[in-house]
Amino acid sequence: MITSTIIIFILFLLAFGGFVAYDLATAKRRKEVYRVKSSATAYLMLLPSVALAFLFILLPILYSLGYAFTDYYLLEPNKINFTFLDNFKDLFREIAEKGMLYNAIKNTATFVIGVVPLQIMLALLLALFVNRPGFGSKIFKVCFFAPVVISLSITAFLWEQILASGEGGLLNSMLSVFGIPPHDWLRDPKTAMPCIILLSAWQGCGYQMLIFLSGLSNIRNDLYEAASLDGANRWHKFWLVTWPGLRSTFVYILITVFIGACRILTQPMLMTGYMSHTVTLSYYMYNSGYTERLVGESSAVALLMTIFIGGITLIQRRAFREK
Amino acid sequence: MDKKLMDMPNFRPNKTPVKKTVGEIVYHVIGIVLSLIFVLPILYMLATSTKGEVAYAESIGTINMFLPDFASSAVAFENYKSVLLDYDIWKYALNSFIYAAVVIVLNILINGLAGYAMAKLTFPGKRLLSFMIIFLIVVPVETSIIPLYSIVKVMLGLKQQMTVIGVILPAAISIFNIFLFMQFFQNIPKEYEEAARMDGASTLGVFFKVIMPLSKPILATVAVFCFIGVWNDYLWPAMILPSADDGSWPLLPIQTALITIKSIESITTGEIMASLVITSIPIFVIYVAAQKYIVQGFGTSGLKM
Amino acid sequence: MKRFLTSIIALMLILVMSLGMVACNGGGEVGNEDLPTDSEGNTIVKIMFHVDKSSTEGQAYQKRINAFNAEYKDKGIKAQAIFKARSAGASGYETELQNNKLDGTLADIITFDAPNTAAYANSGLLYDISELIPKEDQDKFFSLNMYDGKLYGLPIQESSAGFFYNKKIFRAASIDVSGFTAENPWTFAQFKDVCARLEAHGVTAVDMRIDATKDETAPYLLYPFIYAAGGTFVSEDGYTADGYYNSAATAKGFQFIKDLIKEGYTSYSIGATDFFTGKVGMYLSSGWTIPDLDNKYRESFASRDDWGLLPYPKDVNAASATGSWSYAITNNHHADKTAIVELLKWMTSAESSRAITDATGMIPARKDAVKDYAVGSPEYTLLKQLELSGEERPVTVAYPTFSITFNQVIFGLNNSEVSDLLNRATTTLQDAIDKIKDRQ
Repeated sequence: MITSTIIIFILFLLAFGGFVAYDLATAKRRKEVYRVKSSATAYLMLLPSVALAFLFILLPILYSLGYAFTDYYLLEPNKINFTFLDNFKDLFREIAEKGMLYNAIKNTATFVIGVVPLQIMLALLLALFVNRPGFGSKIFKVCFFAPVVISLSITAFLWEQILASGEGGLLNSMLSVFGIPPHDWLRDPKTAMPCIILLSAWQGCGYQMLIFLSGLSNIRNDLYEAASLDGANRWHKFWLVTWPGLRSTFVYILITVFIGACRILTQPMLMTGYMSHTVTLSYYMYNSGYTERLVGESSAVALLMTIFIGGITLIQRRAFREK
Repeated sequence: MDKKLMDMPNFRPNKTPVKKTVGEIVYHVIGIVLSLIFVLPILYMLATSTKGEVAYAESIGTINMFLPDFASSAVAFENYKSVLLDYDIWKYALNSFIYAAVVIVLNILINGLAGYAMAKLTFPGKRLLSFMIIFLIVVPVETSIIPLYSIVKVMLGLKQQMTVIGVILPAAISIFNIFLFMQFFQNIPKEYEEAARMDGASTLGVFFKVIMPLSKPILATVAVFCFIGVWNDYLWPAMILPSADDGSWPLLPIQTALITIKSIESITTGEIMASLVITSIPIFVIYVAAQKYIVQGFGTSGLKM
Repeated sequence: MKRFLTSIIALMLILVMSLGMVACNGGGEVGNEDLPTDSEGNTIVKIMFHVDKSSTEGQAYQKRINAFNAEYKDKGIKAQAIFKARSAGASGYETELQNNKLDGTLADIITFDAPNTAAYANSGLLYDISELIPKEDQDKFFSLNMYDGKLYGLPIQESSAGFFYNKKIFRAASIDVSGFTAENPWTFAQFKDVCARLEAHGVTAVDMRIDATKDETAPYLLYPFIYAAGGTFVSEDGYTADGYYNSAATAKGFQFIKDLIKEGYTSYSIGATDFFTGKVGMYLSSGWTIPDLDNKYRESFASRDDWGLLPYPKDVNAASATGSWSYAITNNHHADKTAIVELLKWMTSAESSRAITDATGMIPARKDAVKDYAVGSPEYTLLKQLELSGEERPVTVAYPTFSITFNQVIFGLNNSEVSDLLNRATTTLQDAIDKIKDRQ
């Protein structure tokens, strides 16, 4: 382990050195100058964070992605064999046979497509709702943020009680007042994912509301006043002033919510268990790595996920980048 | 909108207050209903923490889930008393506070310096680092806990009491916080620094004497998220910290201890909820106190990805 | 964009190189070493437990360790207990084990859950103790942790499950079940008959925990039905699922559970506490429900006159749930096992066995540690059933996958055909077994 770490470190230094050389070369071409003293200070300031990030973030990620090409079995850490693309072959076969992984991809896609617009819209609506002076709105702001600080295990348990099947479920007993028969919300493949989407949006939107609020606070008041003078109504003002003003906030929220949504794990794990109608990619990864002890296979999924999320994020950044 | 209507000369002013009051009432009613939906888990936690096992079992699936059991205030008192006294919760809470304090200081120093260098200084190789920042924010890290364990225990060889370092150091670095600092510092006008430099301040001097005092909102934001992170973390500390075998002061933080307490056979749901209520209080208080700064912190940093 | 591509390529390079590192990184087992000693020259034997020290179970272990140290002071052996609560996440305890193995700090004795015997033994984590424990000592246990014909562990305690029933409801519906005992269990048909009469009386007949498919609960409680119907899950050697998991007899066992759901005798929607609040007639659970009924739910069950325990129903076979946590000697680099075996024998002695089960309320693992329970008491039923029909869960290296597939079958029973579910489960389990087998 120590030797491999040293070698990875040297490679890292080499890569960094390459970039430094490249930058110096382009600077020369463009006749820019890097000051030695300022660069040295910058390196010194970066040193602690780079060292820690290398040791505790980059190295574990590289190792775990590297395991994707091995048959690492959790119980035999002393016996890791290099298996090239075997794990990936297994994964693609499982997708072709419409196994658990196929469902995981399908459910994760459903979740992302459902939760990203919903959560962002909710967050924006809540932000617009509380973005005004007054005591009431301050209290509301605190309330809307509450689910964010409460641990996921409590909220998941609570929702399980609310959505419980039969007449014992709170939702079912409320619906029965209107003569609607009880429904098994989390067991029915048609309703399970929508329920998880709803509760995830509910749990998370308070955080994005806060970010939207800070975006709103940055929009200058005179823009609204100018719009008013032009006779704009509320709706026009939103589209002409608020929305353009929130653009960079929106891009940030879109990217972070998207990444978070791709990684969904806790809600299906706590609420339904490892079942084909709610399994997600992260859950598949967790299950194959920890429960089934096939760390190699789990890392292969992680590697594919990283490439996929990274790719989409880059597309999003390009598509929404301010011109 | 309302303001504009009032400013219009031909508008009948006597109608405005009525319309406004109605609007206010509607606004607050909607707000209260929405708030109730969002504080459900808190109501549930608080209500259940006052109940005995049977009262809780009977409340499931009815609206009583969210209402405290006023009939048995003695039970509520018992629940909280046993959690606080029998299970030494305060010791673990103190641990978490200490870990959080150290992590917050280190986090601000380490990531703040890095963010400053990335935002304000030019040096060769910067592009690789800014690419790495985005890359590391994006990568899923669920599986990396296994190699992380090997790094801390095997490579760094941290054993027994020393594993505390293994809890603190990985929490002291946060790519996301570097990103936040970077964005925030970029928006601080150059003039401030230049003025200080004219007076002969060094780069570090500028950082500590000029930049830091201007950055209270982002410092508060980072501190709050560090605190929430340390306070809610349980899996990692549980994996690397030794459990107290010999009656000495335990090293575990609060959430890890909570999970252990939950597994004790004789504990009731009411007691579990009481312990959850107690552990949620600090987070909630800190969040409410710092909320204003968080909005400012995010606002001024601009958050351009 | 070009710059971006270069960064990607650079990163990929680092990645590929690091793979090579990972691959060449495997080291062999460390050579034989003697056990460490403390300053007074005592040989230290380390034992790791899966519970928290402050729990009643943990305290019971500590007491037995202290007694051992007092007893063996003259012989120069000192036991040292390590507590690592397994509640810290499903992966916590196992990750701890594998990393201890990696850095050479594996305790000499560990506790482990019985279904893991095959996987742990197969991966070389456990030491073969067939020769170290005399045959007559082995015979004193209800069950042993065997894999591939060798002994790898001795149970700490035993467990068994059964149908708790609400006597008040049974009396009101005038259902007499006194004839069904552990020695003479009821049949599948009689079980259905009782369900029908409870249903006619207007209560939900039985909570079989078919909703508990998130963890080990449903597999642990329901697998005996399949054995009772004559089915199995894997071959004798544990490496073939095809032809066993999807056999007709196995399907018959699951079909019985499916029929109970179809008839409305049980369902997925029974609340977790419905039995305890008197809404359900019977409740399938393990022995750990006994203290709950005795203490926690006094409002519904004032005394043992209000509830009783029935055994598992039988079909072609009688079968009941068993299996709990066990002790094993690990395959670490300590060559001399005599001191370690002394501690293992001490912890599995009749005295220790009784002390620990007194704390946990479970059944002692040793036949000679069992107290005399009154015939017909719930504890007696569990114990007798364990002795007569206890059958362990399938022994396979891919047990976790078995557990997952079992849960998926139970989950899908209501909406899918049993044969489809079993075929899918068989494929999944066989895949997982093959992956582990192929490594050797």
